[in-house]
Amino acid sequence: MAEIKTKTKPTWCPGCSNFLILESVSRAVQSLIKQGWKKEEFVITTDIGCNSKIYDYLNLSGIYGLHGRSLATAVGVKLGNPKLNVIAFQGDGGAYDEGISHFIHACKRDNNVTLLVHDNQSFSLTTGQPTATTQEGYKSKASPSGFKEKPLNPIKLALASGATFIARCNPFDVDDTARIIETAVKHRGFSFVEVMQKCLIFNTGINSLEKLMHKVNDNNDEEKAYKLADEWDYNTAETGHDKIPIGILYEKI
Amino acid sequence: MRLNILIGGKAGQGINAVSGIIAKVLADYGYFTFNYRDYQSLIRGGHNFNVLSLSDEWIASHESKVDFIIALDENTISFHKNKLKKSGKIISYPLFPDAGKNLNIALASALAKILGLPKELILKHTEKFQDSGKAVELGYKSQKHELNLKKLNNKISIISGTQGIANGAINSNINIYYAYPMTPATPLMHELAGRQKDDFFVFQPENEVAGINQALGSSFAGKITMIGTSGGGFDLMTEALSFSGQSEIPIVVYLASRPGPSTGIPTYTSQDDLDIALRAGHGEFPRIVLAPGDANECIEKTNEAFYLAEKYKCPVILLSDKHLAESDFSHDKKANPILKIKMNRKIPGKEIIKASSYEHLAGGETTESETEAIKNAKARLKKYSEIKKEIEKLEPIKIYGKQSKNLIIAWGSTKGAILDSIKNLDCRFMQVLYLKPLSDKIKKEMLTAENIILIENNATGQLGRLLREKTGISIEEKNRILKYDGRPFTSDLLREKIKGRLV
Repeated sequence: MAEIKTKTKPTWCPGCSNFLILESVSRAVQSLIKQGWKKEEFVITTDIGCNSKIYDYLNLSGIYGLHGRSLATAVGVKLGNPKLNVIAFQGDGGAYDEGISHFIHACKRDNNVTLLVHDNQSFSLTTGQPTATTQEGYKSKASPSGFKEKPLNPIKLALASGATFIARCNPFDVDDTARIIETAVKHRGFSFVEVMQKCLIFNTGINSLEKLMHKVNDNNDEEKAYKLADEWDYNTAETGHDKIPIGILYEKI
Repeated sequence: MRLNILIGGKAGQGINAVSGIIAKVLADYGYFTFNYRDYQSLIRGGHNFNVLSLSDEWIASHESKVDFIIALDENTISFHKNKLKKSGKIISYPLFPDAGKNLNIALASALAKILGLPKELILKHTEKFQDSGKAVELGYKSQKHELNLKKLNNKISIISGTQGIANGAINSNINIYYAYPMTPATPLMHELAGRQKDDFFVFQPENEVAGINQALGSSFAGKITMIGTSGGGFDLMTEALSFSGQSEIPIVVYLASRPGPSTGIPTYTSQDDLDIALRAGHGEFPRIVLAPGDANECIEKTNEAFYLAEKYKCPVILLSDKHLAESDFSHDKKANPILKIKMNRKIPGKEIIKASSYEHLAGGETTESETEAIKNAKARLKKYSEIKKEIEKLEPIKIYGKQSKNLIIAWGSTKGAILDSIKNLDCRFMQVLYLKPLSDKIKKEMLTAENIILIENNATGQLGRLLREKTGISIEEKNRILKYDGRPFTSDLLREKIKGRLV
C-alpha cells in the first residue's frame, strides 16, 4: 500500500485527536489510490493552527498557506488545474473566524474541493482563546470572566449557503471518519466535513460531548438536514436533551 | 501643430463616444491624439469631461487651454469656458434639438467638419451606433471647413493604458486574471473578461484577500496568474504578498493607484502608492516593482513582469494609476518583441510538490532551525542581487534629450506631460521604469547633473525619498514639482513650472 504519511514526527500534544484525524485522512486517501486515483494528483492546502501541521505529516503535494486562507488557496488550486483532487484543512478559528467569507462562498459556488475543519471550539496553538464555535461561558486567558457570545452553527450556515455535502465526524471513530472523508472527496461539488476534535489542554469543557453523539444514516433530504443541524447548538450540554448527530448530514443528489 | 478639444456632459450622454470617434478619424488621417478622461464617482448625471489633444507629432498629454468646447449640456460651458482660448469655439447642444440620443454623434460630426475631416471617415467610425447616419448629416452640414487638416502618412493605433496591460498579459500567455472591482483597476477586469478564451479566464473572488490566495493556489498548480486592484485592495493583499515571497510561488500584481488616503477620490489620479508597492508585506523578501509610462510601455512592462515572476519566483508589482490606465494613447511604433515566458518549476500532478508560508527546507518541510533561517535569508538576498543584474537588460531607466546641466527625474504616468512640456528646453529627462531593484545607472546620471528636478503626482515626493535612500542624493525642496489635486499634469502648465527651475 502506498505510504501516505511522512517520517516527520508530529509535534501535536501526546494524545491529541489530530493523530486520529491524520490516520483517517491517510486511510481515505489510501483507499482512493487503491481504487485507481493517483497519489500525485492529490493536493492539500493547510491553514495556520494545530490542525495544519498535518501538511508536514502527509506525503502529498500541498501548500502550507496563511491563517484563514486555506480554503481560498484550495479553490485557486482547483481553478488552476481541475484534474487535481484538493483537500483543504482548517481549524474552527481559521474556517469560521478569519476565513468565514471563503467558507460561505465555497458553499455558494459549490467549488469541487473538500474542506476538513478540525473543530476543537478554541484557538489552541495560540493558547486557548475563544473562536466562533466556542461555548458560552468558556473561561480562558482571553475571556477570564467567561465568553459572552453564542456559538455559531456552521452546519446551518453551510446549508443556508448552498453546500451540497455536509458531514460531521467523531474523530475517535477512525473507520467512519475515513469513510466520510472518502465520500466527501468523491462528491462532485463542495464538501464540508467537520471533525469534532478535542483539546486536552485548553477548551477541555468540550471533551465530554462524545456521550451526546449519535450516528445518523446518510441523508439526502434538505429539510431533514436542517433538523439535524438544529439538534445541537455547540454549547456544552447542561440541559441534557442535546444530541450531536454524526455522519453525512446532507448530500445533494 | 497642436489642438485641444474639451468634450463635456452628464454621465451617460456619451462623451467617450465623441472623443473616441474623433480620435479614430484623426488616426485614420495620420494624426496623433491623447485623450484624458475626467469623470466622477457616479453613474448617471453629474459632470464628466474628456480633453482630446491632437498633433501632427507624438504626444501623450493634454493642455490646460482648449481650442474647442463640445458641450452636451449647459454645465460644460459654465464650468469650462475659462479654459477656452481667445480664438476658441464652442459647439453646443442647442444646435441639434432633433438629434435625440445621437446628440453626441451630431456634435462629433460638426467638429470633424470644422477640422476639415472627410465625412466618409465619420460615417465609418459611427456605423455601430443605431441611426447614426442622420446625426452625422445633421452635424456635418451645420458647419464649414475651417482648419482643413492635411492627411498625413503616419500609421497610428489608439490604445489605452489598460488595453496595453491586457495586451501584455495576453502576449505572456496569461491563464487566469483575478480581480475584485475597484477603480481604476476595474477597466482591466472588463477588458480581459471580453478576451477570455479556452486557456484564459477571469475570476471574480469574494474579496481581495481571497483573490490573492486563490491566485497563489492557481500559480502553484502551474498557471500564469495575475491579480489586479487599487491601493485599498492592495492593502488587503499584503499578507499574501509576503507569502509569495516565502513560498516562492510567482504572482504578478497590477496596482492601479488613485488618490488616498483611504477611499480618497476614487475616480481621479495619483502616484500615492509607490511606497506601499516598495514595502508592503511583513518580513524581508525579494520583489520587483516596475512602472510603465505610456500604453506601449504597458504592453512591454507587463510582459517583463510575467517573465521575471516566473524566472525569479517572486511577487512582481506592476504599478499604474488612473491617468495611465484610463487615458487613450496613440502610437505609430510597435512595442518591443515579446519575451517568451518559461515555466522552470515543478508543479503538482505528476510528482509531490510542496510550498510553504513557514520557513522551510528545500523539500518544503517546516523548519525552525537557526542555520536554515540564515541559509534561506541568504538565498533570498542572493536572488535579489540576481534580479538587480537582470533588470539592467530590460531598460530600467530611459533618458530623453541631449546632455544638459538640468536633469528631470520622474516615473510612471507623468512621462507624457513631461516629454510634451520639455520640447526645446535645455534639460534631460530620466524616466525610472524599475523602482525595485533600482538601477545603479540612476546615481551615475544624477551625479553628472548640476540641477535635478523631481516631478511626481503626489504630495511628498515618494520617488525623491527612494532616490535619497538609495543614492544619498537629496533633491532640493524648491526643485520638487508635486501635484496632488487628483488631476494629472497638463503639459503647458508643467512647462512653465520646469522653466522656472532650470539653470
